[in-house]
Amino acid sequence: MTDPISDTPAGAAASRIVVDGRPLVFEPGDSVAVAILRAGEVPASGGTLCLAGDCGNCLAQVDGVAYIRTCQTAARAGLSVVRHPTHGLPPLPVVATSDPTASPGGRDIAVRRRVVDVVVVGGGSSGRAAAAAATASGQSVVVLDSADGVEVVAAYAGPLVVARTRDGMLQVQASEVVVATGAAEIHPVCPGNELAGLLTAGAAAQLHAAGISVPGAVAIGTVPEGVPCSRLDGRLVRFEGGDGRVTAVVTADTESGTEIRTPCSTVILGLGHAPRDLLGRMSDQMPLTVVGAAAIEYPLPPPPTEGVVCPCSGTTVGDLEVAWAKGFGELELLKRASFAGLGTCQGGACLPHVRSWIAARTGESPAPFTARPAARQITLAEAAADTYVDAFRRTPLHDEHLALGARMDRFGSWWRPWRYGDPVAEYWAVREAVSLGDVSTLGKLVVSGPDVVEALERLYPCRVADIKVGRSRYALLLNERGHVMDDGMILREGETRFVLTFTSSGAANAEMWVRDWIDRWGLRVHMLDRTMSLAAINVTGPLAASLLRRAGLSDPPRFLGHLRADVAGVPCHVMRLSFTGEASFELHHPVDRAVELWRGLLELGKGMGIRPHGLEALQGLRLEKGHVIIGMDTELDSTPRRLGMDWAVRMDKAWFVGRTSLERTSKLPDERRLRGFTMSGPAPVEGSPIWTGGEIVGHVTGSWSSPILGKVVLLGWQKRTPFVDRVEIEGREALVASTPFYDPEGHRARA
Amino acid sequence: MSVPVDSLPPIRWPDRPRSSYDVVIVGGGGHGLSTAYYLATRHQLTNVAVLEADYIVSGNTGRNTTIIRANYGLPEAIRFYQHSLEMYRDLEQEIGAAILHQTRGIVWTAHTETAMRTERARCLVNTACGARTVMISPAELKDVVPQIDLAGGGRYPVLGASHHLDGATARHDRVAWGYAAGASQRGVDILQHTPVTGLVHAGDRVAGVQTPGGPIAAGVVLSAVGGRVTALAAHAGVRLPIRTHPLHAFVTNNYAQELGSIVASTELVCYVSQTERGQMLIGAEFDAQPSYSRQSSFSALRAYAYKMTKLLPFLRELRILRSWAGICDISTDFSPIMGETGVDGFLVTTGWGTWGFKAIPAGGEAMAELIATGRAPALIEPFRLDRFARDHLVADHGSAGTR
Repeated sequence: MTDPISDTPAGAAASRIVVDGRPLVFEPGDSVAVAILRAGEVPASGGTLCLAGDCGNCLAQVDGVAYIRTCQTAARAGLSVVRHPTHGLPPLPVVATSDPTASPGGRDIAVRRRVVDVVVVGGGSSGRAAAAAATASGQSVVVLDSADGVEVVAAYAGPLVVARTRDGMLQVQASEVVVATGAAEIHPVCPGNELAGLLTAGAAAQLHAAGISVPGAVAIGTVPEGVPCSRLDGRLVRFEGGDGRVTAVVTADTESGTEIRTPCSTVILGLGHAPRDLLGRMSDQMPLTVVGAAAIEYPLPPPPTEGVVCPCSGTTVGDLEVAWAKGFGELELLKRASFAGLGTCQGGACLPHVRSWIAARTGESPAPFTARPAARQITLAEAAADTYVDAFRRTPLHDEHLALGARMDRFGSWWRPWRYGDPVAEYWAVREAVSLGDVSTLGKLVVSGPDVVEALERLYPCRVADIKVGRSRYALLLNERGHVMDDGMILREGETRFVLTFTSSGAANAEMWVRDWIDRWGLRVHMLDRTMSLAAINVTGPLAASLLRRAGLSDPPRFLGHLRADVAGVPCHVMRLSFTGEASFELHHPVDRAVELWRGLLELGKGMGIRPHGLEALQGLRLEKGHVIIGMDTELDSTPRRLGMDWAVRMDKAWFVGRTSLERTSKLPDERRLRGFTMSGPAPVEGSPIWTGGEIVGHVTGSWSSPILGKVVLLGWQKRTPFVDRVEIEGREALVASTPFYDPEGHRARA
Repeated sequence: MSVPVDSLPPIRWPDRPRSSYDVVIVGGGGHGLSTAYYLATRHQLTNVAVLEADYIVSGNTGRNTTIIRANYGLPEAIRFYQHSLEMYRDLEQEIGAAILHQTRGIVWTAHTETAMRTERARCLVNTACGARTVMISPAELKDVVPQIDLAGGGRYPVLGASHHLDGATARHDRVAWGYAAGASQRGVDILQHTPVTGLVHAGDRVAGVQTPGGPIAAGVVLSAVGGRVTALAAHAGVRLPIRTHPLHAFVTNNYAQELGSIVASTELVCYVSQTERGQMLIGAEFDAQPSYSRQSSFSALRAYAYKMTKLLPFLRELRILRSWAGICDISTDFSPIMGETGVDGFLVTTGWGTWGFKAIPAGGEAMAELIATGRAPALIEPFRLDRFARDHLVADHGSAGTR
């Protein structure tokens, strides 16, 4: 034993890995497993080592990540290895919090992407030949070689080959995949094969080349060239050992069957090969070719009779026998019943043996089972590296809301102000003074062209042709089943030009919906989606018109009118409508002027009691008016009749999308209704069941303790007939009431 | 590590099919096998065959994320799944086979006001319909799942959660094998590698199935097919309002048992549980694009890994063992379709989407009763196929994935 410090060159302090808290010296080129073996230890508890990544017998925790193949991991100064527990499982890592400032997945894992014609997996002779042939024919090629520390995770449809490299993740998009991964060595299956001190011939050759001697070695089968050992003839019967290490091997004479016991401290096993074709078995739906040794049908090993067949799962030959006897008599069932092949190596060690074992029973060797990603493993952090799936849109006023102290919430894929402070104060600003709401999230579609009226008449259940220029109409959007998909306004700007608005959540779908129908009909209509290019501010409240006058709009439009005008110096499309129940003007304007307009209006409104309102106040305001929010109050099968909105449908039109269904369903019994209710006391939780006679007949969709009405107003479903007028919610009585609850004649909206 | 093969239930296989059965069930997954089991045990109907195109449990029963829960959004669904959840508790005794059932509870985290509204509603309607689900605060959630990052990685702060106390898991293939064993021992013929290529018609009714080995006559044909059910139903002239979408899932390696509860997120639309073997089993929402492909997708893996690590940071350092996909039959209202089809002799149990595993006991029990008595039990009445014609959907957002 040499002193590791005095015996190593300069920089020696750097050339150690730490294994279970103890430093071990490694040599350049060592894998972690080889470094551990160099110190006379074993990387895991035992089993045959192949040092080629084909089994799970060298798995350990490396730098905090368990289940790392130490034979495929280059030794690096300071690298920390913790062996898996001999009994039981590795503990979960302790990672307490995600750092929001860290890159996605929490660690800075580089992701490189390449696009080539051909990706070759494997840098052996057949891989190099395939790469050379492709290069010669003018194709771009990348070779992924495990010798360079590249572990190929999977070949996905695309084809997309994903690999783990020494410095991060690699994704290769290719037109063709060549799998040239070679062959794996057969592991021994017999009693004692879980002992330490067993090496495949390839592993022994690797250690020899690394200058590691294996004293007291005997070899069975093909002996690796140049490795000092004594070769044993005969058939392998079992290994014997003590303290978890092999101390002898028992072989049987192939002729006489006589057993011979040979003491040893290492057994080298040259038992043959099996194709390393996991990647080739992942998909038959991509341009993928398996070449070289990976494509060879090697003879199967003799059927095992005893011992651990699947080291990853601990499945024994006896387990196979029990499962088989219980009827699990084919490879896929046997795999699931016995767990053989379900471990880290995905059958790398056990599959040839299990196939051989089945062949001995059925006379036919079954095709290998399917392979699934991951052939070589990655952590969730590595999978998630460079991924962003949580993009939420912001309106141009996002920072204004934050500056006003708004609590933002995600709603319909947008960040929106939920409340700025006290939602009841925001409510009163709308009811008694003037308030601003950011409605930039509304869908906004400009449609024009010679056939536009025809197109809209077909799309909408209401009349469109009679909307005068400068006027607008509220409209439902129905699907073919006559169910309400969305709602919004139709605003006529010219004989052949309209602006359509949609809900924030429904806008993206509505845009596709309108476009698809118009394409299908072949009508001459131009469409321009302005959802992202226009911001919109809703100026609402009894003082809204006064504020607009202060902002330079001397003659605001009357109810359901709209016009183009400058407001506070910003060009706007001003639309007069009402969702809050008060006079409301939606100002649609270019996004780059939104901050200027917002600040200008707040400044001009000083002294008028102006304050912005968030979504929470808005939901109460609209509820007092009985306005439905599509998706919150409605269900997938909500027809206009069920919503009490037959007034928005003109069945006297010859046709529109959904009319055929409405014609039919309008004759069916009317058994579902969205209705208004009022009650006293605190507002029930939205979603509360609505009861009648001890039965649930529906649920509350909207609930608000109305400050101005002094009672609770609700919307909710009744799904049992006859529709009664008295129900129970949260154990209290609620009475059906007609909507709107507030200002039923709509004087205030029109004022 | 030991493999529990001793507790595998013994399955009896016939040598060949008979030429005629009282009932032919197409599809050897959980629903087909449980229906056969209850026909044999509750109704003494054993002249029954289950035909499986591949090997039994090769479809979604063996590919799902094994979560048993009843925390749906509509009374009809809650009552049905609650009954199934209760049957699962006693299933080991019923079928006499280990299914590794564990009641663990499920937390459903909410990260927005909209999600909080959904979770509050879920608790109320669950409670009203007999399922135990309560709202819990972030602090209470931390007690249930100490590993959770309440800041949600900074992007998904947890505002609260619903806690479905009776949420459970069971080993998926053991459940189906248990039913297969029980049915086969009572005389039901389970035939693997027997694809149904068409139906036998007798006048207006379906009177059997076509297979590569020849026709098999049947008094009743039940489609318990997953994945290509629309193609089979088309042979009967039945158009099903179903599209088939892939759903991806993956597991990590095995780790010591430390994650007690099942964790799901309404907004992130993914869920994780630790299996009895110690793996983290992670799934999410089905693909938007319909397809029959069972190929794994890297983009799905990336997205799920990204989302789940936001909530459970320790997952970052776990290694992914295996990923796979199943193909899910999704009806237009996200609820199953069970019962008669309007064609005599042809019944369906389908539309099991991403929620079929938890319904295996109750679905099989109900279909067996319908076949044996000709009357559908009240529990499955709302899920009749003709609800689409009657415009009476059971539109439950709670059924899809984690919504």
